Amino acid sequence: MTPINRDVPQDGDAPEDPQRLHNDLHEIWGNPRGLKALTIVNHSTLGLRFMVTGMVFFLIGGMLAMLVRAQLALPGQGFMTPDIYNQVTTMHGTVMMFLFAIPVLEGLAIYMIPKMIGARDLVCPRLTSLGYWCYLFGGIIITFSLVLEMAPESGWFMYTPLSSSEYSPGLGSDFWLLGITFVEISALSAGVELVVSILRTRTQGMALHKMPLFAWYILAMALMIVVGFPPLILGSILLELERAVGMPFFEVAGGGDPILWQHLFWLFGHPEVYIIFLPAAGIVSTLIPVFAGRPIVGYGWVVFAILVTGFISFGLWVHHMFTVGIPQLAQAFFSASSMLVAVPTAIQVFVWLATLWLGKPKMKLPMLWIVGFLVIFVCGGLTGVMLALVPFNWQVHDTHFVVAHMHYVLVGGMFFPLIAGLYYWLPLFSGRMPSETLGKWGFWLTFIGFNTTFLIMHWTGLLGMPRRVYSYDTGMGWDVFNLISSLGGFLLSVGIAMVLLDIALHFRFGKPAKHNPWNADTLEWANTMPPSAYNFVSLPNVDTRHPLWDNPDLPHTITEGRHGLAVASHGRREMWGSDPLTGKVREIIHLPDNSWWPLFAALALSVVCLSLLTKFYPLAGIAVVVAVAFLLRWSWENGAHPKAAPDARVNPGDPPLHSRTMDGPGLWAMSVTLLANGSFFLSYLFGWFYLWTVSPEWRMPETSPLSLLGLIVAGLALTAGAGLLEKLVRGLRQQQDAGLAAGMYFISALGFVQVAVTLWVLLGADLAITVTTHDAVIMVGLVYVLLHGGLGSILALLQGLRVGYGYVGAYAPFEPVVVAQWWRYNVVTFWVIVGALAVLPSVIGG
Amino acid sequence: MIATMERLHLTHPLHFIVGLTLWSVWFVTVYGGHAVACAVIPPDPEQGAFTLVNAMLLVVSLAAAGLLATLAWGCCRIAKHHQGRLLFNAVVSAGLYLFSALGVVFTAMPIVGLPPCL
Ligand code: HEM
Ligand SMILES: [Cu+2]
Repeated sequence: MTPINRDVPQDGDAPEDPQRLHNDLHEIWGNPRGLKALTIVNHSTLGLRFMVTGMVFFLIGGMLAMLVRAQLALPGQGFMTPDIYNQVTTMHGTVMMFLFAIPVLEGLAIYMIPKMIGARDLVCPRLTSLGYWCYLFGGIIITFSLVLEMAPESGWFMYTPLSSSEYSPGLGSDFWLLGITFVEISALSAGVELVVSILRTRTQGMALHKMPLFAWYILAMALMIVVGFPPLILGSILLELERAVGMPFFEVAGGGDPILWQHLFWLFGHPEVYIIFLPAAGIVSTLIPVFAGRPIVGYGWVVFAILVTGFISFGLWVHHMFTVGIPQLAQAFFSASSMLVAVPTAIQVFVWLATLWLGKPKMKLPMLWIVGFLVIFVCGGLTGVMLALVPFNWQVHDTHFVVAHMHYVLVGGMFFPLIAGLYYWLPLFSGRMPSETLGKWGFWLTFIGFNTTFLIMHWTGLLGMPRRVYSYDTGMGWDVFNLISSLGGFLLSVGIAMVLLDIALHFRFGKPAKHNPWNADTLEWANTMPPSAYNFVSLPNVDTRHPLWDNPDLPHTITEGRHGLAVASHGRREMWGSDPLTGKVREIIHLPDNSWWPLFAALALSVVCLSLLTKFYPLAGIAVVVAVAFLLRWSWENGAHPKAAPDARVNPGDPPLHSRTMDGPGLWAMSVTLLANGSFFLSYLFGWFYLWTVSPEWRMPETSPLSLLGLIVAGLALTAGAGLLEKLVRGLRQQQDAGLAAGMYFISALGFVQVAVTLWVLLGADLAITVTTHDAVIMVGLVYVLLHGGLGSILALLQGLRVGYGYVGAYAPFEPVVVAQWWRYNVVTFWVIVGALAVLPSVIGG
Repeated sequence: MIATMERLHLTHPLHFIVGLTLWSVWFVTVYGGHAVACAVIPPDPEQGAFTLVNAMLLVVSLAAAGLLATLAWGCCRIAKHHQGRLLFNAVVSAGLYLFSALGVVFTAMPIVGLPPCL
């Protein structure tokens, strides 16, 4: 590796030979071919993989929908048995929500965000790769259940007890629970790294209030994923434990409650629809100003609306449960908050209309889809407000009216903007333009087909046709409507096929696009078309919301290497790490190279998933250990490791490498991960207190089975370890690392003491986990703190070793800070668990 | 009062989320408190909406709304003294506090009219 001895151009200076710079950068960032393509961590490649895979799942889900519509076209049809029909509807909903909508939008965000904020990649590239593989393998496992005719059949929300072992004895529910949890790893990884990337890797000068609106939307979406998915993960784990081991969480007889599942599901499920809607709205807010030829009216209003949506949508979940028998007053709260969430959506609609009104809109193909979105989505929003009214809701609950509403918001609010976005960014992907003729045909067929299919369903719903019935009798007055609806469905399919054909053909026959073909304002169009693996030869200073409008020359100066970090001789993948508020450059982030570990870890995790499915538990245990080993090995290749950044020299005047500071992006990634973890933990506590207060047959023993003394000893060991770690970190802040390794080993030992004592308490408690819900819930809580404590001590142990290898020390103080955060979290959750499970019950009593 | 407001750094983007977080905390308190109250001290249905439970929920809600409104007012005051980024932050925060305050009022309205545990 050549040391750095060249002068680097400062912003605007004369560059070195641009071609040479490009070649150097390509050498470092370029994608390998052949088998090694499996190791790629680059965000452009992985974003495309996400999107293409998502579209494949869309086709699968669409085919399932066509099967449903074919069966419902005429009364009394039964080419699918009730059993198969249930599998097909359940899988349609599941595939569309989990395997199409979220991954496609995430793929788009993964592709676009670095390009829009002037970065060269996402901040945890290996995590992108892990996310993709988990998604792919999980998706294949779930879909494969259809081929085996063993697919889940209790509806996409898997209500207990229908999905419990008594009513769903086969493997269907297990496929769902295990497969979806596996896929959710992918959503969470993308969520975490998108948050950190947006906050910490914007190019110099891009302050928070100068970010492209799309980044705001994705920031909100990513945070909502981080907070919103854990409740469902918890629910899935509990239900799978009930099905596999017999721990009675949702069974009334043992003290559980099936309604708990509904709470956990909808705690995730309602935010989920906004997780899908927000990025789609982000596409709309990006496209409308470009085609209207003027800045958006009310940037601040849009930010306001995004934030409000992000929060309020977590306060509505019970509106899916208005019919389960909840006190009127509680229903009224949720009804009111459901109406509240319409406010930010209305604000955005007005902002979009005002921007179109004040600009000179050009009706290019992407705009056509935006207009289609506006029409359909506003209708869906109106029926949504109707459904938020409790009496009306009782009337149409579980009828086709709901199916109609749901598709107006989902297809209108997500699919139409998505296609608009795909058409808009197509030239960036391929360097070519789509065909206006074929594209217009595709749009109109889709639009007319969609409305024919779903407008009619409002009628059938009001006429009382329930959803998820496999057949119906003639004479209910539903026949004609269903026939029209099904014909519409096929029209819709033709339209979508046309769109896909257009996109496929354009790669060959499309007109070559000129640079920045739509005259857009955002930075992604400063890339070459298609973009290079490193996006930007040099990283510009951006202090406007419309870099390409205010400085049309920017693409050239970027490519000529006239801006920051135009240096490649050190062989590292580098980009700016900036201040989250002001966008001032703080450090140079160096990114890891391509790696096999994500793929290997995902493979091991699929073995875990499959062996749990087939109830082959020894193998599952081994695979878990292997997966953890892969992940730890991955974390080993960081910081000052020879594969990461052993040499920390930078150009004079440049900030230090992030691994040589105390506040690198890894710390932020850990915080966001702990946010997800905390949401999981709070969902668990919610479950505990919910069952305690509401569950009809809940039984609390007279005295807690847990040894309070043992728990206190364990907690003290944990707290001492965390305290010591804080002290070491304080030392590092003063550049002192004497006794660092020994300290780490000692902390690790304290962690093991906590684990051992907690384990002893657990075994001594003699819990009857298959008999009472109380004991089963306690078991889950203790296992939670055990796993966290165990991981904490392993991490401390590895830190000790790394100090010995010279990867960590006063000159590279970054990692202990991250580990300290984990320990801090452990201390808090441990004492909360002790309080909630052992102390409170004896104070209050059952 | 003004001095306290200064110390809150109302031009920091953290206030983008404080108001809505308070709204969420209030919402969880009222929803959870209501459930627990109905489990522990269910009032006589004859009493209608004039119960201790309603009164407690109402007090909590008024306090939350008052706090949020004060913060909204504080952001407005501070906003006048700034420009650019800090002005943007203060104005957006003011709007979010105001929305949260109104959100509390709107969501809490049923407390005045409905019996709690039916
Ligand atoms: C593209 C054309 C589509 C058609 C023709 C279609 C059709 C249908 C039909 C007929 C049902 C069954 C209703 C019932 O019997 O209860 C259904 C359910 C559902 N659809 Fe779609 N759909 C389409 C696209 C989508 C998309 C894009 C999404 C999500 C992004 C979606 C999400 C759902 C969900 C969540 C359900 C509920 C499944 C359940 O009740 O378990 N659909 N759809
Ligand atoms: Cu909802």
